[in-house]
Amino acid sequence: MSIQQQYRSRAKELLQDGSVKMVIGYGEGTTATRRRPIFITNPDDTDRLVLDAACKTNLAGYLLREGLLADQKSVAIFLSPSGVRTINILASESQLSSAQVVVLGFQIQGDTVKALEGTKASDFSPLIAKRKEKRKAQPSHEMTRKLEQMTPAERFAFWEGEFSRCIKCYACRAACPMCWCRRCVVDNNQPQWVNTSSHTLGNLEWNLVRAFHLAGRCVECGNCSEACPVNIPLHLLNRRMTEEVLTAFDHYPGADEHQEPVLASFRKDDPETFIL
Amino acid sequence: MSEPFEPKIVAFVCTYCTYAGADLAGTSRLKYPPNVRIVRLPCTGRISPMFILKAFQKGADGVLVSGCHPGDCHFDHGNYHARRRWTAFNALLHFTGVPEERVKFSWISAAEGIKFAELIDSITEEIRQAGPFEQYHKLIAETGSVASV
Repeated sequence: MSIQQQYRSRAKELLQDGSVKMVIGYGEGTTATRRRPIFITNPDDTDRLVLDAACKTNLAGYLLREGLLADQKSVAIFLSPSGVRTINILASESQLSSAQVVVLGFQIQGDTVKALEGTKASDFSPLIAKRKEKRKAQPSHEMTRKLEQMTPAERFAFWEGEFSRCIKCYACRAACPMCWCRRCVVDNNQPQWVNTSSHTLGNLEWNLVRAFHLAGRCVECGNCSEACPVNIPLHLLNRRMTEEVLTAFDHYPGADEHQEPVLASFRKDDPETFIL
Repeated sequence: MSEPFEPKIVAFVCTYCTYAGADLAGTSRLKYPPNVRIVRLPCTGRISPMFILKAFQKGADGVLVSGCHPGDCHFDHGNYHARRRWTAFNALLHFTGVPEERVKFSWISAAEGIKFAELIDSITEEIRQAGPFEQYHKLIAETGSVASV
């Protein structure tokens, strides 16, 4: 039985025996390589589920749709390991109760999809711990290394060029499962922190704030870069932040649901190399 | 003849340590450059990175953020939280090409009037050497507003 068939029948069982009220998964998209999120409540509709190497979007953000989890019923959701980390972070930030989330875990390796054992987010903790070690050993992105070698003025010019294309559509925010604030700082107008006109200045400010708010929370799922209509390499900023919290505070976002948010906790012996 | 460049520096300081340190510098009649505009806040834990961006948005050439030494916070741990935040934000600013001399962080206690005066002296000199933050000022000019710090 193909993995897709296997997951379809698992989803069907879950809906039939009433253990979940909805399955959030992937369906056919508008082109052969696109997948779109589908929300299934009828067991007969589980044939529409697709699971292949094109299922890259992190669906976890859909769990935060207002009222979805308010009735204490469970929802099953297709998640890659970074998706499971998202659930852990959202739980640690009190945005959802992980007990209401049934994980249909999978992992994409090249062109193939591998099934992952486990149904609760906590079942994946050993896997995530392994990924932390892997992330620590992973060298910085090639472009990051190139940027680090530039002079500050050259780096500024690089980002100025990138951000000048930003149209402030906030697709990066909409696509990010971590951007759950009811009122985003950028929508604030008293005080107006971020310049809202479509000039590079405000674009720079917005992208800095976005990256900072994701420091220690981003699971590097890639939803933001994928959503950006003008292809700003947002992942470079996020990765840089991830590397910073990993080296400075040994923090790997979403390790488990009891992990303290990195910027809402501290250690007295945190490093401080730059403070005069 | 145009006037020589005088940097505009915004200092976000906590009221219990660095502001008191600045006060001590004043009452001790220590001389330090008048280029710094001090913004007093209850605690470094209250200093959002947005403040730093806002200062630059308004045309600052440099920003100083300063508070109590670790262990001395009036609210016990506000500065520990601030330190983590600065670590991340400092790395981000560095990565996006804001030069190191433009944003400084320090611990200055209420007893360190001399340290305050000397630090303001040295960062003012450093930014004076570096010149105005032209790259940022160009972005401000695009929006049609003028520097107003």
